[in-house]
Amino acid sequence: MPRLDEAVDRLRAVVGGEGVLTDAGELLVYECDGLPIAKGLPAAVVFPTDTGQVSRCVRALADCGVEIVPRGSGTGLAGGCVAFDNGVIVSTTRMTRIESIDVENRVAVVQSGVRNLSLNQAVGALGAGGAERLRFSPDPSSQSVATIGGNAATNAGGLNTLRYGATTGHILGLELVLADGSVVRARAGALCDGVGADAAALVCGSEGTLGIITRLWCRLTGAPRHYRTVYAVFGSTGDACDTVSDVIGAGVVPAAMEMLDGAMIRVVEEAFAYGFPPDARALLLVEIDGVDAALDEQLERLVALCHRNGAKEVQQCADEAKRAELWRVRKRAFGAIGRISRSYCTQDACIPRSKLPEAVARIVGIGEKYGLRVSNVFHAGDGNVHPILLFDEDDPRQVQRVLAASQEILEYCIGIGGTITGEHGVGVEKLHLMGKMFNPATLDTFGRIKRVFDPLGRINDGKLVPSGQIRIELVRPIATNVPGGAL
Amino acid sequence: MPQSTADNPTVTVDQLQQLIDLVRRGMAAGVPIVDYGVAHGGLGHVPPPRHTRLVQRGGVIEHYDRDFVVRAAAGVAMGQLQATLRETNQFVPLDADTDVTLGEVVGHNVYGPLRVGYGAARDLLLGLRYVDGQGRDIHVGGRTVKNVAGYDVTRFMVGSLGELGLVYEVTLRTSAIPEVGVAVELRVDSLASLDRVMTDLLLGDASPAWVGVHWGGGERVVRLGYFGLPSGCDAQRRALEGFVDRVAGIAFCEWRACSLDQYFDEQAVVRRWRREATALVKLIVPPAVTGAVCEAIRDAWPGDYSPVMIDALPMHGCVFAGGRFDAPVAAKLDQITGALAAEHGGLCVWHARPEGCESIEPFGPVQSDWALLGKIKQAMDPYGLFNPGRFLRGEGVTR
Repeated sequence: MPRLDEAVDRLRAVVGGEGVLTDAGELLVYECDGLPIAKGLPAAVVFPTDTGQVSRCVRALADCGVEIVPRGSGTGLAGGCVAFDNGVIVSTTRMTRIESIDVENRVAVVQSGVRNLSLNQAVGALGAGGAERLRFSPDPSSQSVATIGGNAATNAGGLNTLRYGATTGHILGLELVLADGSVVRARAGALCDGVGADAAALVCGSEGTLGIITRLWCRLTGAPRHYRTVYAVFGSTGDACDTVSDVIGAGVVPAAMEMLDGAMIRVVEEAFAYGFPPDARALLLVEIDGVDAALDEQLERLVALCHRNGAKEVQQCADEAKRAELWRVRKRAFGAIGRISRSYCTQDACIPRSKLPEAVARIVGIGEKYGLRVSNVFHAGDGNVHPILLFDEDDPRQVQRVLAASQEILEYCIGIGGTITGEHGVGVEKLHLMGKMFNPATLDTFGRIKRVFDPLGRINDGKLVPSGQIRIELVRPIATNVPGGAL
Repeated sequence: MPQSTADNPTVTVDQLQQLIDLVRRGMAAGVPIVDYGVAHGGLGHVPPPRHTRLVQRGGVIEHYDRDFVVRAAAGVAMGQLQATLRETNQFVPLDADTDVTLGEVVGHNVYGPLRVGYGAARDLLLGLRYVDGQGRDIHVGGRTVKNVAGYDVTRFMVGSLGELGLVYEVTLRTSAIPEVGVAVELRVDSLASLDRVMTDLLLGDASPAWVGVHWGGGERVVRLGYFGLPSGCDAQRRALEGFVDRVAGIAFCEWRACSLDQYFDEQAVVRRWRREATALVKLIVPPAVTGAVCEAIRDAWPGDYSPVMIDALPMHGCVFAGGRFDAPVAAKLDQITGALAAEHGGLCVWHARPEGCESIEPFGPVQSDWALLGKIKQAMDPYGLFNPGRFLRGEGVTR
C-alpha cells in the first residue's frame, strides 16, 4: 500500500511546505490536461526547483510506493500528465532557470520548466554577437505557456515543423531523474554527436514514462529574416490538397503550409475578421523563408502551382503586421470553434502527404456516415490532419457516434500508411490503438525499454505503452474550452 | 586492426527470413553475429574469436517520390540508392561512400559537410524494421514525416554501432536535387580564428549548405558551398563576398560551379585517406573550438611536416585526425586528442588503431549514459548476439 502521508512529509522536508499542494480545491487544477475526459485527482503536487530536489522527491515517493507523474504546464492533449492512481504530480513549473546561452556554440542550457517562449525572448534580448538572429525553433501553438521539458517529453511539433523539424531535432542532450532517484545525462553538453545509441532521442517523445527531464541542452538555429507569406483560396478541399502535394513534389519546402476547410474559414472569419472570402471552400496558408533575393523565384513557382490547381485567388501578406495577424489567427483557430459547437473532438493522425486529397474526402465521408459535422484545420505540409468532430456532449448517442467515427478515422489513416498521432502523443487517449499500430514484438520492446528505466513501473506507468496495470475508461470525447489546447 | 583472429564464416543475406533464421541459429548455438560495415571495421573493440560475419544486400523497396520518402533495404549500397533516386531527380543528402550500405550509415551515424544544410541521419530517418535479439521482426516509426506513437526507437538506433538489432529496412526522407550548386574555397590565416565567425556565417544570407576543412599541411583552406536556385546562389555569393570583406584573416581562393554530382565525387576523394589510414580518431568537441582543436593537433608536430591529416566539420565540432603511421605516432595522437577532449568536454572515438596500439581505449571519456545504454542492450539483445563487446555490454561499456 502506498504510504501517502509519509510521502508528503518527506516531500515537505525536501521543498518546504510552500512547495507541496494537498488541498483538494487546489488539486482540482491538476486533475486533467488538455484532454478533459481523462481525469484523475492527484494526492498531492510537489514543486521542486532543481535536479537535486527532483531526485530527492522521486526517491521519497518511490520509497513510499507512490505513483509519480511528471508534469510541465499541462498543455498536453492526450492525458499523459494525469495521476490516475492517487499518485503525486511532480511539477517542473518552478524550474525556470535559463542557465546559459552560448551564442558561439549555438546552445542554451535550461531547466525543464522554462517556457518555450521565454527562452526565445531571452535569446533575443541578448542582442549581441548574433543572438538576436538565433532561436529555439520548435513552435507549438501553446509555446507561450508550454515548458521546454514538456515539448521534449512529447516531441512537440508546430507550424514550422515542415521545414525545421519537431522538438527532438533541437535537443542536443538532457538530464533525467530516473525512478530510483538517480540522475543520468544523455548526450549532455554542447556536442553535436555522441557515441553509441542516442538516449536523448529515446527520451524525447517518451511522455514522461522513462523519467523526469530536469535540464536540457537546446540547439539554437538561425531565425529566418526574410519571408513571403500567401494565402490561396480554393473551390474545394481536394484542389487545395492537390496543391500541397504538388508543392512538396516540386521540391519546394515551405516553412509552414496550413489548411482550413470551408467551415473553419467561416468560423475564423466570424471570430477574427481577417478578410478571408467567406464563401471559400478551402484555404491554404503558406510561408516560405530564406535568402531574400531567392524568395520571389520560389514564390512565383508556388503561386503558379496554386493557380494550376484551380486557386480562385492568391493573396500575399502586404507587410509584417498582416503576416503576424495571419499566423495569430491560425494559432487561435481552435479557440473559435466554440462559436459553432458546444463540444468538439480533435483527432491527430498523420498520413503520407500524397494521400491528403483522398484522406480528407474519406474523413468527411466518415462524418456523414455517423451524422456528424466535421471540420478541418491542419498542418497540411506535414500530412498531419486534425479532423474536428462537432457534437453535443449532453447527447449520449452523439458521444458514442463521435467515439466510433474517431476510431474509424484513425484506423483508416493507419491503413494508408499513416500513424495514430503526429504530435499530440498517445497518453491514455490512444493506448487502445497501439496494438493496431505495432505488432506484439514491438510493443514488448517498448515494455522492455520502459523496464530498464523504471523496473517497478513507478513513473507515469500506463501512459504511452499499454501496461495492463492501469486502465482508463474514456467516456466522452474532448469537450469545450480546452486549456492550452491550441494546435 | 583485424576484426578477429579466427576463421569465421560469412553469411550474405537479402531476405528478412534469412536474418531471423540467422539470429535463431545464433541463439541456439551461442554464436554472435558481427557486422562492422565496410568503412568502420576498426571502430571499437575486436569481435569475439568465434562469430558469424554478416553481409547484407538489397535495394530500394519502395520510393514514394511525391512524398519525398524512400523505403530501402539496409543492405542497399549508398551509390545504388542515390542512382535509383536520381531517376526522379531526388537524392539522400548524406555524405557517405558509394559502397557503404544504408544500414551502415544509420548504425554509425555517418555525416559530413552536408549536415549544415540538410541535417544528419537522425533528422532524415522516419522508420526502421529490424530483427531483435530474440529473432523477432520489430517495426518502429513509419513513413510519415511526423509520428509520436511509441518510443522513438528509430532515432535511438542511429549510431548504435549495430549492437541493438539487425536493421534490414530503413525509411527516410529524400530531397530534390538542387538546380545549381557553387563551391567556394576560403584561405584562412588560422583555423582557430574561424571559430569566432562561424555563427555569424551561419546566421546571415551567406549561410552555406555545406562546410568542411581538409588539412594535410600547408595552407589552411575552408571549403563550402551552396545549392538551390540560380537567384539564391547569386545572392549568397554576394553575401559571402561582403562577409569575407568584413572579417580579418579570411580571403577568397576560388569560386566555381559545382553540381551535386561533382560535390559527391570531390568529397569521396577528400574522404579517401580516412579509409586508407592505419590510425584514425574522431574527436567530437563543441563547435566553437573546432578550429582551435585542429591547430592544437597540428602544433604537436612542430615544423612544416606533420604525419597527421585532418578533416573537420567546423559547424558541428567534428574532427577526424589520422594517417598512415605506426604505433608511437598513434599513441602520441591519442594523448593529444584525449587531452583536448578532456579540456573541452569532448569525446574521442578511434576508428582505426595500428598494430601494437591495443592499449588505446577506443572510446572516451566515459559518459553518464553509457551504463544505461548497456542495460538497454541487455534488454534488446539478451543473448549478446549483435557485435558483442564492440562498445557496450550488459552492465555498461566494454573496457
